[in-house]
Amino acid sequence: MKIKSSKSKRSAIRRAFLLIATAVALVSIPPLASVAIGGMNEYDVKAAYLANLGRFVIWPTKGKNDPAPSFPICILGVDPFGRTLDRAVDGQQIDGGPVIARRISMPEQAAGCRVLFIGESESDSLDAALAALSHVPILTVSDMPRFIERGGMVGFVVEDSRVRFQVNLDAVKAAGFALSSQLIKLATLVKTNGASGASGG
Amino acid sequence: MVNGRHMSIATRLTWINMLVTSAALLLACAGFWTYDYVTFRNGCIRSLSIQSQIVASNSASALLFDDPRSAENTLAALRVSTNIMGARIFTASGQPFAGYSRSHLQNSSLVYTVREPGAEQHWFKDGRLILSRKITFQGKFIGTAVICSDLSQINARLRAYMLICAIILLACLGAALLLSSFARGSIAAPIVKLAGTARKIARERDYTVRIEPVSATEEISDLLESFREMLVQIQARDEELLQAHNELEARVEERTAQLRSANQGLEAFSYSVSHDLRAPLRQISGFANLLTDDYSAQLDTGARRYLGLIQKGAANMGRLIDDLINLGRIGRQELMRKPTNLNELAEITLRDLRAEIEARAIDVRLAPLPLVECDPGLIKQVFANLLANAVKYTRYQERPVIEVGMVEQGGEPAIFVRDNGAGFDQKYEHKLFGVFQRLHRAEDFEGTGVGLATVRRIVENHGGRIWAKGETGKGAAFFFTLRPPARGQQNQPAMKGTIIQ
Repeated sequence: MKIKSSKSKRSAIRRAFLLIATAVALVSIPPLASVAIGGMNEYDVKAAYLANLGRFVIWPTKGKNDPAPSFPICILGVDPFGRTLDRAVDGQQIDGGPVIARRISMPEQAAGCRVLFIGESESDSLDAALAALSHVPILTVSDMPRFIERGGMVGFVVEDSRVRFQVNLDAVKAAGFALSSQLIKLATLVKTNGASGASGG
Repeated sequence: MVNGRHMSIATRLTWINMLVTSAALLLACAGFWTYDYVTFRNGCIRSLSIQSQIVASNSASALLFDDPRSAENTLAALRVSTNIMGARIFTASGQPFAGYSRSHLQNSSLVYTVREPGAEQHWFKDGRLILSRKITFQGKFIGTAVICSDLSQINARLRAYMLICAIILLACLGAALLLSSFARGSIAAPIVKLAGTARKIARERDYTVRIEPVSATEEISDLLESFREMLVQIQARDEELLQAHNELEARVEERTAQLRSANQGLEAFSYSVSHDLRAPLRQISGFANLLTDDYSAQLDTGARRYLGLIQKGAANMGRLIDDLINLGRIGRQELMRKPTNLNELAEITLRDLRAEIEARAIDVRLAPLPLVECDPGLIKQVFANLLANAVKYTRYQERPVIEVGMVEQGGEPAIFVRDNGAGFDQKYEHKLFGVFQRLHRAEDFEGTGVGLATVRRIVENHGGRIWAKGETGKGAAFFFTLRPPARGQQNQPAMKGTIIQ
């Protein structure tokens, strides 16, 4: 292995990248085309956001008292991030615990998750999934259209070639925790008390 | 005013007051200003630091979620601080993220640099205060906020301070001026009055002037009192001096009167004695002549010789008496001044001596003499005496020379008669002009011893003076003037006035 030149190493990386790109192209069926933002892939940005969202959540005090061995970020359904999320959370700590990425296929598996990204593949069964999670302190995130209208908490949208997000404070409140005002002010749409309005901008 | 030497004490006091006041005020103002400047500057830094802290914590989420507009909204809140010219947020990698500036024009000129990404520091540049602060979120460095504030507030404060200082300074100078006018009253006024009095006394020499007492500080009243005492002493001394002077004058007058009467008595005595001596002398001389004429044949040789000696002695005595009478007459006689040609007088006198001059071939040199206002009869006697002496004392000289001329002696024209005869010892000069004072033996040079005394009296009666210069065996020179020397001998025109050219 040591004899291998850097050239062969680089070609290996390129091969892996092509493989991932093909996989992403295959799994993400666009209504939303993948856009590049600031030289970064859309899902790179979303992964970074996902990794940081947990920092702007005021978690229930009950959870604080418990020693938090880890801070799991779960992905339900088809994973659009691939290794990006794993890289984004690598070495990160929230609430004193290391952030880890976990893939699940059933909403029932979400117990212990702090943040749950619901892939677009779950669009059809979303209502049931949200209903199952409605009284668990899990921050639900998705980039499927009309996510917050359907009861989700944070929905990623792309506006002006930028990844932005909308928040549903009712859902957050119902789940028993709160979002930092710092986060809310960045949201392009805030749904609260059944009403919704544009914020920040 | 500028030249301190000519300032009056009152002005000087005022100036000192003003200077001290201004110096103290300026120092105080400078101290206050420095303190205030430092305090205010630190306040500015603290205020900017707080604002940057707010900006930093409010823009953390914007940085994390890549939302420059939100960050710009946060920065726009700085608009309420009018001194903040602009602000910028940089990402952790140092890329510009969001910005704000008060004026779009200034935006381009503002240079926002992060000296050290992540460092928290402030610095002054181009009259601006720039503060940079790292933005952290949950202990993680995510960017840098830089705020730039202008110092116009500090400058405005400085201007206000200067204005206040100027106003206070003017007010204090006014107050100092007012107060120093009181000081003038209590300190300067008595001194000014003293100076005025001293000047008046110096000018008028009136030591009876007194300074009326004024209420003044101790030192000044001491000074005034000493001055007053000094004046009293000067006046007392003046009076003593005047009294002494008057006493002296009276005494001198008294003595002069005594002397004059004694002198007159002496002269009268001398005149009458001389006069009275003539009658018996004439008898002696007359009978001696009769004896010689009538009884010469009956007398032997020895008797005839004695008779000759008697006749000679009587003749000598007669001359002496004549001279003495003459001397006495000169003392009493009024001068008959008239313009006189001294050359003529000298020539007439020389004519009387012509026989001996020619016989001995005396070289007489007569220089031109001036025309002088004098008594010609008396001056002729002077020439007669001096020339006769000159002829007499050159008797043993092989080549006798007599010079008559005029010299200028220290601005004083003096007539002289000089010979190269027997001369005299200069140290006996004072004896020359005394009555019966003779420097030579009668056997060598006959004479009565009255001639030079007569000459001196005549010269002195004219107001002149006479002196002699001589050396034993080398001749003598007699100088005389006929007028008192003009005051300050350099006064030539006055001198010439006495000499009619």
